[in-house]
Amino acid sequence: MTPFSKNDLPEKVILSGADCFHLVLDKHAKKHGAGGNVMRKAFYFSSSVSFEKIENILRSSPVIYWLCNIKLMEPPLFQLPYWRYKDRGNEIVVKKHDCDVENEIPKNILTRDITVDADRFIEADIIYYPSGSSAFVLSWNHILLDAKGTTLLFEHLNHLSENKPQNFDIFFPAREKKTNIFTYISNMYKVKRFVQTSAKPPVSSVATAKARHGEDETMNRTIAFNAEETARVASNSFKAGSRFGATLYFIACCSQIIHLLNKQKNKAGDLWLPVPYDGRLKGAVGPLISNCVSFLFYRIPEAELDSVPQTVKCLSAQMKSQIGDGIPQRYTMFLNMMRHIPLWLYYLLVSRTGKGVFASFLYTSTGDNFNELTHLFGEPLRDLNMIPALTFPPGLTFVFLKHDNKLNINIAYSPDVITDNDLHLIEEKIKQALLAEY
Amino acid sequence: MDADIIITEIKKYIEKNILAEAVHIDADTILKQAGIDSFSTVEIILFIERRFGVAIPDEKLLPENFKTIRALAATVLELMPAAS
Repeated sequence: MTPFSKNDLPEKVILSGADCFHLVLDKHAKKHGAGGNVMRKAFYFSSSVSFEKIENILRSSPVIYWLCNIKLMEPPLFQLPYWRYKDRGNEIVVKKHDCDVENEIPKNILTRDITVDADRFIEADIIYYPSGSSAFVLSWNHILLDAKGTTLLFEHLNHLSENKPQNFDIFFPAREKKTNIFTYISNMYKVKRFVQTSAKPPVSSVATAKARHGEDETMNRTIAFNAEETARVASNSFKAGSRFGATLYFIACCSQIIHLLNKQKNKAGDLWLPVPYDGRLKGAVGPLISNCVSFLFYRIPEAELDSVPQTVKCLSAQMKSQIGDGIPQRYTMFLNMMRHIPLWLYYLLVSRTGKGVFASFLYTSTGDNFNELTHLFGEPLRDLNMIPALTFPPGLTFVFLKHDNKLNINIAYSPDVITDNDLHLIEEKIKQALLAEY
Repeated sequence: MDADIIITEIKKYIEKNILAEAVHIDADTILKQAGIDSFSTVEIILFIERRFGVAIPDEKLLPENFKTIRALAATVLELMPAAS
């Protein structure tokens, strides 16, 4: 592995608008005692991977070194927050664990927080199981990396282990183009009007803002589909009217279940959710650092929740209309503008929209990003899983991930919101909805 | 209008508005492999509808019609009134 120069790493990286939005979520997580804004990805191997080999690869990564030696700087009013890199000699900490239960990720990994005050913004764990299999878990604060950034990070680690040449400059965000203040202001009114109309109360959510009891626990459940079932889900998505990939079909199926759950709790109503939209130009191999996501916002009236095809149709029209109006690009500009206001005010504005109900539930998907990832660190992969940061409220996030042509859904939830009975219902009904006849 | 003109215009739109600078495509590039996702496909459809004055009906929204720029151009040609 080629050594890198620690002095060549960027000293100052300004937070993007989406990064700052995550700062707000971080504040929100702290206020509600939720498990932190930490993302985790678990890679499972059939064999026992070498701890030293992985540690060496991770320590040879300039990106990971940078993530272990930065500090958040929040300058005075109207100046942009930024990451300051100072070589403090911090290396990534890789911890070794033995776990008796196959595939289980020890609780101390899942509950470990990585706050904005942390020494390192990324951590690694290797777990060994009695059968001789193992898992590698990477955890990072969501303020620094989004879903596409994660894909690029693992490609980068694979390139490192294969000694492939890489251009490190593209890993960090490029200097932003300046936006005229009048453009900012006119855009702000358009976005504000759109979001306020879209998220107008009442919106029915699985949680109410005050439901959290302060338990620092995020629960997870994975629903796995075999290759045959996954193919059927793809075919169903088309039959149900989802013409541009399966995303709208997945959201429609999740919405049906949440509507059912809300009906059982006598709080059925319209659903509202923001869905991430990757703002990078397509085919781009950077930046790896910083969130480049925007959002599409879907409001599903209760009357459109009678069947999956009906919901897909409703979502499809909204997607087309928002992309046509450039809402994701406008929202990015809006988020960029919001960086200039103090965090406390930003938080107040965000939490007031929808009267504290951030969303009915949250949905995210890795698309096909990891479908063909067969190896990591030169070792064949058996399976992988993504454990999202849990935003509370709503306290329920669905993550759809496809690997090796097999779909799995990770449900991250707060036990304050989703009871055991609710979870059983979700598990049973989501599989039924995805595999039904259309 | 012939297929070559449509191909050129769609390619120009995609390269200017959707793809990263380093990504190059031609009429037969598999768009998904170049990084075009479902959201970008919607953008391309909206461009086609605007530029060529055709509405792509639901039954034409098939993956094979969006596989390459050539396939897209053939769909546009099929939908355009014969006189043009």
